[in-house]
Amino acid sequence: MKKKTSEDIVLEIKDKSELMVDLAYSSLLYDNKIIAKEVYDLEDLIDNLFGKLQKGSLEDVQKGKLTVNAALTLMRLAKAGEEIADAAREIADVELRDVELHPILKMSVQESDVVLTKTQVDSRSILCGKTLGELKLGSETGMMIIAMRHKNRWLYGPNKNTKIDRGDILFAKGPEDGEKHLINLAKAETDEI
Amino acid sequence: MIEKKRRNIIKRLQRTPKWKKEEFSEIEYEPTPVKDLLTEMKDISELIIDLAYSAVLFDNEEIAEEVKYLEVRMDKLNYDIRIMAMMAARTKEDAEQLAGILQVAQSAEKISNTAGDIVLILKDKNRPTLSRILSKADEKIFRIKVFSNSKACKQKIGNLKIETETGMRIIAIRRENIWIFNPQSDAILMANDWLIARGTDEGFEDLDKFLKGKLRVLE
Repeated sequence: MKKKTSEDIVLEIKDKSELMVDLAYSSLLYDNKIIAKEVYDLEDLIDNLFGKLQKGSLEDVQKGKLTVNAALTLMRLAKAGEEIADAAREIADVELRDVELHPILKMSVQESDVVLTKTQVDSRSILCGKTLGELKLGSETGMMIIAMRHKNRWLYGPNKNTKIDRGDILFAKGPEDGEKHLINLAKAETDEI
Repeated sequence: MIEKKRRNIIKRLQRTPKWKKEEFSEIEYEPTPVKDLLTEMKDISELIIDLAYSAVLFDNEEIAEEVKYLEVRMDKLNYDIRIMAMMAARTKEDAEQLAGILQVAQSAEKISNTAGDIVLILKDKNRPTLSRILSKADEKIFRIKVFSNSKACKQKIGNLKIETETGMRIIAIRRENIWIFNPQSDAILMANDWLIARGTDEGFEDLDKFLKGKLRVLE
């Protein structure tokens, strides 16, 4: 495998940290400790990546592959992602505490501009056996799948090669009117994507 | 003389950026439900990061100003929510549950501060690196123009179902010299508007064709 460049790492930090925020809010909405724990694990991963990036970009400067300014931009961007990841972990922390969630938390997440939703895929659904890349749910329904549960396995931040099977539980985010469309597709109430 | 002085003061006031006005506005106690405060904080925390990246990507001071304004607004909301939560606590159990709300609010505020840091990259003059990185992200930020022959003209965003049909979320509209940030579903698109939207490449292609008038309907 090709070695990750500093830019690849920054990108990974950016995408993962944004996913973490969505997961953290979902964990509150569905009172789900498994998702909250995943946010914790992802935060460790990001800390790790951030350390790697700092070292890597300094080495690149030393070798003359990167200018000081470019390295600084990379580090600042990565730092921003790392802070967002921290904030996500603090949100997940609320879920993991042994205190019952205040009902307002759930309501606030539900009422915001971007909604989070959860649905199980029916065996007659058109989504079965197709990959996310084929389905293009994001550009067709506006809903982006942030996590999936396949039997006992969880998948976070699925990519376009991820296949949907019957019985899978999808966690998605998007606009309010997209929510219904996705649920109807999963429940086999409509075949029209 | 006095007249001139007065005019100067008015001029200066008009030049005061929106964020400064918000920062120096007196904090008055207005009871707002905790739920409304937290919902607004969550919404801002999601919008502000995209705006921050847009400000850097398009090297735009006005978007940067809006980020600053939202940051100040967030500080105020965070203050208000603390007061409201404290007043709501009657028992230890209340306090424990409310502490959770405040922690989420604090996290949303932290995210908005991060957006402020991203905007500082604007001063680094290192946009090429940044543009290159952002062009490879899962979801990207695009700038799209509304052409006069598009069916989108004079239509509400909500009626066009842009987000559900293309997955593109419009985060700002620029109409001549005015900016509309975080437009809601009742915002109307006009010919020659510039949109800043977040989404995937495929979503962008569809929306771009539609706004250029090459595609008559979005589906």
